[in-house]
Amino acid sequence: MTFAVHGLAVARGIAIGRAVLAASSRIDVAHYFVDAGRVMSEIARVRSARDAVIEELLRLQQTVALMSAKEAPQELSAILDVHLMLLQDKELEEGVKHWITDRLYNAEWALTTQLEVISRQFDEMEDPYLRERKADLEQVVERILRYMKGVASPVAPPPARPAPRQQDLQLGDTEDVPLVLVAHDLSPADMLQFKQSVFAGFVTDVGGKTSHTAIVARSMDIPAVVGARSASQLVRQDDWVIIDGDAGVMIVDPSAIILAEYGFKQRRGDLERERLARLRHTPAITLDGERVELLANIEMPEDAESAVKAGAAGVGLFRSEFLFMGRQGHLPDEEEQYHAYRRAVEGMQGLPVTIRTVDVGADKPLDDTRRDNAHLNPALGLRAIRWSLADPAMFRTQLRAILRAAVHGPVHMMIPMLAHGSEIRHTLALIDHARAELDNAGIAYGNPQIGAMIEIPAAALTLPLFLRYFDFLSIGTNDLIQYTLAIDRADESVAHLYDPLHPAVLRLVADTIMECRRQGKGVSICGEMAGDTSMTRLLLGLGLRTFSMHPAQILAVKQEVLRADAARLAPWAQRVVQAEDPAAAMAD
Amino acid sequence: MIQTNITISNRLGLHARASAKLTKLAGSFPCDVWIARGDRKVNAKSIMGVMMLAAGIGTEVRIETDGASEQAAMDAILALIQDKFGEGE
Repeated sequence: MTFAVHGLAVARGIAIGRAVLAASSRIDVAHYFVDAGRVMSEIARVRSARDAVIEELLRLQQTVALMSAKEAPQELSAILDVHLMLLQDKELEEGVKHWITDRLYNAEWALTTQLEVISRQFDEMEDPYLRERKADLEQVVERILRYMKGVASPVAPPPARPAPRQQDLQLGDTEDVPLVLVAHDLSPADMLQFKQSVFAGFVTDVGGKTSHTAIVARSMDIPAVVGARSASQLVRQDDWVIIDGDAGVMIVDPSAIILAEYGFKQRRGDLERERLARLRHTPAITLDGERVELLANIEMPEDAESAVKAGAAGVGLFRSEFLFMGRQGHLPDEEEQYHAYRRAVEGMQGLPVTIRTVDVGADKPLDDTRRDNAHLNPALGLRAIRWSLADPAMFRTQLRAILRAAVHGPVHMMIPMLAHGSEIRHTLALIDHARAELDNAGIAYGNPQIGAMIEIPAAALTLPLFLRYFDFLSIGTNDLIQYTLAIDRADESVAHLYDPLHPAVLRLVADTIMECRRQGKGVSICGEMAGDTSMTRLLLGLGLRTFSMHPAQILAVKQEVLRADAARLAPWAQRVVQAEDPAAAMAD
Repeated sequence: MIQTNITISNRLGLHARASAKLTKLAGSFPCDVWIARGDRKVNAKSIMGVMMLAAGIGTEVRIETDGASEQAAMDAILALIQDKFGEGE
């Protein structure tokens, strides 16, 4: 039966495919595809983990057998018995084998998927006692996963595979059908792995418009719906689903008529993209001759390629934190960082690259083992520059690596989340310190421009202070909105209050642009607002000339720029900023 | 192949421990052993399958054995169920 699940529209386009559930186990597992040649060794990895757990339980059972009935009740031995049998059960084993062999899931993913499949059957039982036996199964699977976690995976995640063509889609076909990932939540590290994989779309239960899942989906230019509440419980593995990224809807088990309609929409979207692609080499100049710089936000050095391909005039935001994530506490050393930054700089072929120092915390924990539940509001906690200043040796390592990369091309360095004069001075002192260290070691380094992000209202309200110390400013609108309006970006229950057009937000943005222009300093926006085509005219009218966004959005924004007359937009933009209801004023 | 119907009579039905006993017993015979409830038939040598039958007290199930020592297997399994899986209630 066809039904629809509503969430937030976060990444445009239509995807049609089969659902792949990334089961949310209590243990966090990696999800990636293995090479066909690795299938046997992947199965062997599960088997040896299972055998190790069996041995462990057998030893435990022997110990129990030696105890008196008082020390260890008979039930304990019986439960161990059940667990041992579950471990060796064919249904579990065959299922896991199936997911690895036929779908090329990695071992952990195959296990959690099969657990999910069996769990659903337990959930359907009427007898509450039996229904709860699911817990036994979960426990044994978790034991296997935990054992596997202790044993490092020898597999390098994920081999790139070309995305299947949507046009080849035929109902009932399981080979080469586009896959749509449905999950409760995806960590940024997960998203990073999926980035090179086959998914045609994403749906998650949680998250807001600027949650990390959404941002990454947009940067990959694939349809996504987040905040779809219980989507991951309503959809079953292998269900046919349509994701309408424009409307924020997922349609499950669509009828033939609905399928045909969305197939048409999908083709229309493809045509629109082809049309935009022709703008790639067109310079971004408004009708009245104002030159506009359209830059790319990137996450990994390899993204430079897609930035150049999209016609970006440089990188306006290189989120260096992605080099730091999911590494179980082993942070990248100076050499590794230097080479990563250098690859990005060289990949941009002489175009400028703005590297932002590490911005972890809040919705971007380094890895799950470090997620700290004691701090309920990580967005207000030790994150970004605060985290860097708390560990000066780590921070100087990054600063040295960036300074060294600046030898290979134009590099700007950008500091996130500054609010205090003391933080600014402390940061600049550490940069000087890093330079001195390189001098002492006789290592060559460049002289990057140093800029600051304006993402805390306190910063936007003390612009003269920032402009005294920095060469340029960049407005991070996602955090600026979050902090100005007190909205948790990752919380879908307040997502409707997250409003880029709130008069307070517009005021801070407008003032920052104006003050920078007055002092002749560079100013850009690198938040989601920059890539939102409905905001392009307003920002041009406010005097913004540098926009940094996901490479996938550059051409659409360029189209807006080409159609705009900046001089005529200026008075209108001022009226919008001063209006009681800017959204309504914009429509005038 | 032989088959016999029997009613589950222990208080908890085919819960985890009873399922374990049944599965173990079935596994000790060389023949195929199936247990069915309505139109759902599972391998009695798989604990997952047996648990998923969700056969509570009063449920009628059908036992099928097929192959070497099928009669011995049938007798043993019927005896286990009649004995309320040794639980005494």
